[in-house]
Amino acid sequence: MPTNSALADLRVVELSRSAAGAFAGRLCVDAGAEVVLVEAVEGHPLRHEGPFRGEPRDIETSTPHLHVNAGKRSVTLEVATQAAVLAQLLSGADIFITDLAAHVLDPLGLSWPALHERDPALVMTRVTPFGDTGPYRRYAATNLVSLALGGQLKITGDPGRPPLSNFGAQAEYQAGLSAFAGTVANVLLRDATGVGDYLDLSTQDVVATNLEHRSPALNLGLVANRVGLNVSATYGVYACADGWVYITAFAPALWERLKALTQLPELNEERFSSQATRLDNNDELQAIIAAWVITKASDELRSLARQGHPLTVAESPDRLIASEQWRGRQFVRAVEHPVAGEVSVLGPPWFEEQPSATRPAPLLGEANDELLGALQQVAR
Amino acid sequence: MDWRTGRLPLAGLRVIDWSVYWAGPYLGMMLHDLGAEVIKIESPSNFDPMRTVIDVNRYAGDGARPMTPQERASTNQHFNEWNRGKLSLGLELASPQGRELLLQLAARSQIFIENHRPSAKEKLGIAYEELAAVNLGLIYASISGFGQTPPERGAMALGAPVELASGLFSCNGYLDDPTPAKTGFSYGDPVGALAAVSALLLAVREQRRTGAGQYIDVSMRDALSFGIGAAFADWSMNHVESPHAGNRHPVFVPQGVYRAHGGDEWVAISVRDGRDWRALGVAMGGPDWHADPELASVGARRRRHDELDAKIEAWTSQRSAREAETVLQGAGVPAGAVLDFHQLWHDAQLNGRGAFQEVAHPSFGIEVRATSQWGRGHLPQPIGMPAPSFGQHNHQVLSEVLGLDGGAISRLESDGVISDEIKVQGD
Repeated sequence: MPTNSALADLRVVELSRSAAGAFAGRLCVDAGAEVVLVEAVEGHPLRHEGPFRGEPRDIETSTPHLHVNAGKRSVTLEVATQAAVLAQLLSGADIFITDLAAHVLDPLGLSWPALHERDPALVMTRVTPFGDTGPYRRYAATNLVSLALGGQLKITGDPGRPPLSNFGAQAEYQAGLSAFAGTVANVLLRDATGVGDYLDLSTQDVVATNLEHRSPALNLGLVANRVGLNVSATYGVYACADGWVYITAFAPALWERLKALTQLPELNEERFSSQATRLDNNDELQAIIAAWVITKASDELRSLARQGHPLTVAESPDRLIASEQWRGRQFVRAVEHPVAGEVSVLGPPWFEEQPSATRPAPLLGEANDELLGALQQVAR
Repeated sequence: MDWRTGRLPLAGLRVIDWSVYWAGPYLGMMLHDLGAEVIKIESPSNFDPMRTVIDVNRYAGDGARPMTPQERASTNQHFNEWNRGKLSLGLELASPQGRELLLQLAARSQIFIENHRPSAKEKLGIAYEELAAVNLGLIYASISGFGQTPPERGAMALGAPVELASGLFSCNGYLDDPTPAKTGFSYGDPVGALAAVSALLLAVREQRRTGAGQYIDVSMRDALSFGIGAAFADWSMNHVESPHAGNRHPVFVPQGVYRAHGGDEWVAISVRDGRDWRALGVAMGGPDWHADPELASVGARRRRHDELDAKIEAWTSQRSAREAETVLQGAGVPAGAVLDFHQLWHDAQLNGRGAFQEVAHPSFGIEVRATSQWGRGHLPQPIGMPAPSFGQHNHQVLSEVLGLDGGAISRLESDGVISDEIKVQGD
């Protein structure tokens, strides 16, 4: 049974204002659930970010929205004044995902205890910058601030230059993935017991947990800092004739493969004979490898990589969209959007042998009549 | 989920973890956090290279002698972070008897995870089809650089290099600098592992409904590219690549990482809207430059971003990053000190939620470990056992799971099928 029908029996209400909740909701779509995105009347913040399809800017064509909200339904309401309508919407749902803080929703009758009492089977996931507990629980954050307080920002960028955010909303993406996994975990418990659980997830927690060098730093006293493109001569980015390539040769077997590939006599010298001496003579080694790499074109390096040599060539989005690998995996889905026209939307981050049809992101409030019409009558 | 009552989603499930380095072991650790029993399988001659790849004494200061590979194998602080809570079985998979034992274990497990190259599992005869033949309900998950499909299935890529292949590297960079930039760690690993745990949990739901297992194929490259899907949508519509934005944001203006007082000290600040902009001015003591009425418009702030950065940095550079954070957060403006790992460890918020716990490791001593990311808040989930030494649980696994007696286990030891010592070639 494919992953894309695993949640086909479930209905999700997503009340999100950032990419964290929106990514979690998008993955629910990929798992086959029906996802209703609850937006403010001015639209989800990702509708306002762009890039857009040309000029003039139309919030229906904002690319982060087209990607992360693909396949959802959209309704608009003002949570502060229409909490009763939202509560009605939730009474027909199995899962509630939100990235709004407890101190915002609790006073509106949308606290976990209140929702749990009303519908004990509801699964609720809240993913916020700092979670429900702790001294910063009312602090404000954006993706950049989450990267800073999660420890990822300090180590990204060049030595001697300011810390650098990576592209996109990576703190929120990690949190969204984690929120989705935690939600499915709670669905498994609900399947077994009929009772829903609450997940209180913090983006700062997720970012800090996902760091590679935290454990050596805390347990060995190492101070990790920005290293730019190269961790070491045998683990880092080099410029090739027409692009960039990563060399991975830090472990003994990989080093032997690099020597066999390059056939450079210098690499057999005593000073490079062990991992320790390669680190001791790092700069000389780096210069030797750099002089070899710069003579190679990326196409030649790509074909060497496919044969299993320890290199990885940098790719741009346009090359990837056209790549044989992604065509074979049906990872890029051409979707026809009523305003944006044809747009490429990437499939879920796991392979689907038989993808279900990917639907476009919804127009703002497209499901208001269908999903809210009756509810608003009741709420009045 | 409630660890106190054992209400964990994977309680009662057994996982065979044949994985190396970070992504696979991290996935195994997450499955342990969700309640599964995880048995890590390594061959004596082909063990998880993360065990020995770093000599911790190299960082212990002057006078520390280099460690032997055997000593390194139980002290590596990456290995011990991502393998906590697991049982270790040292099994020679290249021997027919070793493979047979693995098949028997797979028949008594629900999940198998690995992140070797396709050729490695085919050579050993433990690809999905071979394990599914003994257990149709088995979920078999593979994490790789590019996926299990041709033409790139044979290419190797760890979690750091795979960022180049994902498009993320091309999109990263300082403002007005066309040179790409790399995330400061092996970012493909945790993202790939989170994608894999997501797909696995979906497969567990199917397994419980139908009894059928399935094969899960997660590519770290695809998982990274999915996170920047907007860049691909942009290319497909506009056929241009956006220039590097550095730390700036299209809507939050100004936004940046500003120098604070001290050495390599910084504070990240985002002004999301007009309210944040006014609050920023009040928090900074109402400076003249902020009173310029033109700056109430986001368009003007964007046009004059460089000038605003200089003014803001003149303010932040007079105070510590934490002080700037506190003052700005007091006014409701998103701001955060750029924390290093030691500051993370002592951060009141992370500690208030139980992000870290200490565990006594028999070979290393007291270690600080991160707890389950899903188990924090009011009553953080304890992390349980420290990472195992190589083959530490050979007897336990073979007797409890396969029902072998002491004599049979001793014969396997003397035949070299199981071992609690790694065999090291080279350095």
